Amino acid sequence: MHIFHIRYRNTQGTLMRILTATSRRGIDLPYVQAEPVEHTHKVTLLLDVNAKQVGQLCRDWHAIVDVIDVRPGTPIKELWDQHGSWAVGAPHRPASAVAPADGRVQQASA
Amino acid sequence: MLRGADIVLRCLRAEGADLVFGYPGGAIMPLYDALDGSGVRHILTRHEQGAVFAAEGYARATGKVGVAIATSGPGATNLVTGIADAKMDSVPLVCITGQVRTALIGTDAFQETDVFGLTLSLTKWSRLVRSIQEIPEVIAQAFYWARSGRPGPVMLDLPVDLLKASMEFKGAVKFQPHPKAADAKAELAFTDTLVALLQQAKKPVALVGAGVKLSGAVHELRHLLDHLQIPAFATVHGLGAVRQEAPYYLGMVGMHGTRAANMALHETDLLLVFGARLDDRVTGDPSRFAPEARIVHFEIDPAQLDRVRPCELPVIGDLAETIPAFQEELSRAPLPDWSAWRAIACGRDRAEPEPIGLAQPTKRFLDELFRRLPADSIIVADVGQHQMWAAQRYRSSSPGGFITSGGLGAMGFALPAAIGVQLAKPETTVLCVSGDGGIQMNIQELATVRRLGLPIKIVIVDNKYLGMVRQWQQLFYHRNYAETDLSDNPDFVEIGKAYKIHGQALGEEAVSDISLSASTADVLDGFLRSPEPELLVFECHPEANVFPMVPAGAALSEMMLEEE
Repeated sequence: MHIFHIRYRNTQGTLMRILTATSRRGIDLPYVQAEPVEHTHKVTLLLDVNAKQVGQLCRDWHAIVDVIDVRPGTPIKELWDQHGSWAVGAPHRPASAVAPADGRVQQASA
Repeated sequence: MLRGADIVLRCLRAEGADLVFGYPGGAIMPLYDALDGSGVRHILTRHEQGAVFAAEGYARATGKVGVAIATSGPGATNLVTGIADAKMDSVPLVCITGQVRTALIGTDAFQETDVFGLTLSLTKWSRLVRSIQEIPEVIAQAFYWARSGRPGPVMLDLPVDLLKASMEFKGAVKFQPHPKAADAKAELAFTDTLVALLQQAKKPVALVGAGVKLSGAVHELRHLLDHLQIPAFATVHGLGAVRQEAPYYLGMVGMHGTRAANMALHETDLLLVFGARLDDRVTGDPSRFAPEARIVHFEIDPAQLDRVRPCELPVIGDLAETIPAFQEELSRAPLPDWSAWRAIACGRDRAEPEPIGLAQPTKRFLDELFRRLPADSIIVADVGQHQMWAAQRYRSSSPGGFITSGGLGAMGFALPAAIGVQLAKPETTVLCVSGDGGIQMNIQELATVRRLGLPIKIVIVDNKYLGMVRQWQQLFYHRNYAETDLSDNPDFVEIGKAYKIHGQALGEEAVSDISLSASTADVLDGFLRSPEPELLVFECHPEANVFPMVPAGAALSEMMLEEE
């Protein structure tokens, strides 16, 4: 099981777009909690997904217009503020690889 | 004070949308009532699907946002296939639907459909408008999201009472999105790593997709490939991006790609992907796709990464920025000698053979037709065997010269899309290539062609079957041609006549001579030169097949060739 914390602006359809990214893959949603957090909203999802799906879902969620932040991992509060916690579950964050920071790139350059 | 409908049209004008496609109905009537004198030209199609495909054709030909308008309920649902098509092929599209009045929403009122909900997973962004005051802002947002990043479809649902209501209009607004980490400009630190990967590579190749064209990076890509001189090939949407005469160009890749392209892709140890999604029609069996390759993926949309295989190096950003950055770094780096690899990948042993078999006359027909087209012509292909034959025989270096429904594979696309293309490019020769199945899915749009007098050249490759399905039935379902027989097709020339469109038919014998007969040449020349819409039916062998073919689930190296 993986936990995902997604912060989003609560505009029309944004939460549904987040959820349909899972339902289109036939993934069950055993736990969903959406709530306001400061000036935005947060939805927490518990999903039974493999490593490849983690990466695909994170990138799909990030592509949704009003999604602000996507963090896979364990639901510990400290992780929210931990810089660079993308490495917890996603193959890579949705930005270009920077050579020294990406293990796969280092391997490729070896 | 202006009505909501007038405000919508003024905002459309402000976004540069002066040509829209649509079909009226109850809930959208106020918008149609306001059209006259608005400066927005409306094209009436004969079905909402025709409108959305025409808007797509217009967008694909111009790079501008296409606009399709429909009423609520069935009008809105008829747009859905086009919205899905625009999503798959990254086409900027704004769909505007009427909705029942606000007080009736949720009551299952007459012609009420939750089109907002229906299209949530197909659109980049959408909005059910709740007040007249929102209209300027949502239209600005709609156009922004349709154009930005990886282009795509957006949806605006407008309740009829808001279109009728009035307010003081202070002018169109400009939308400023919230900043987002993923929107950051391309990080250009990839270049060192990429050069290192290239220097290690023994068999590098380049795979070119539509993203190169969407980013306006064709010139940059050609410059890069001329420098690298590595084997290159294109997806169906990438056709025309690489110079046809380049000695390293191997043609189309994928399920019906050339043997040379598929073999090079199978054997490569470094795959440079430029703006392609790597869908299953390109990769074959994902587990055996480019098995030895490290993958470098140039892509604007991070959501497209790692769908099939993890890539070694993602290069996220606008290709118009990332390719020149790569090129600049390359100019300082020594590169290995890949001439031996190039000699294998581009060698005579793998050269495309002359067409043989039952499809030979159709390929010859298309060759003769394409050869006569002006260089800037645009071919709009439908979906099926004729689409793949047309893609295989496409020999133009015009980046925008081949338009088709590639990702969704929506039959019925070509005729209405050709209408949008011809309206966008009135001086350009537009050749619509359809099949006997596909043309009948939107054949009503012949009325639109006739009304507008558009000089579209319509070819129907008529094999009296749903040909691609029949081919699969022949090859993989023991020739059980279940429900693919169209032998009772109507006389398409007579149908053309009913729409006051001149039509004629050619049989395979017309292209059987080694040198084309004068009469056939006259037919083809006359067909293309006519200032009027023209219809040409080519009667193709019912069991002609598209080869090469990579069967579903096979590796790219396991192509079926004609003689098999």
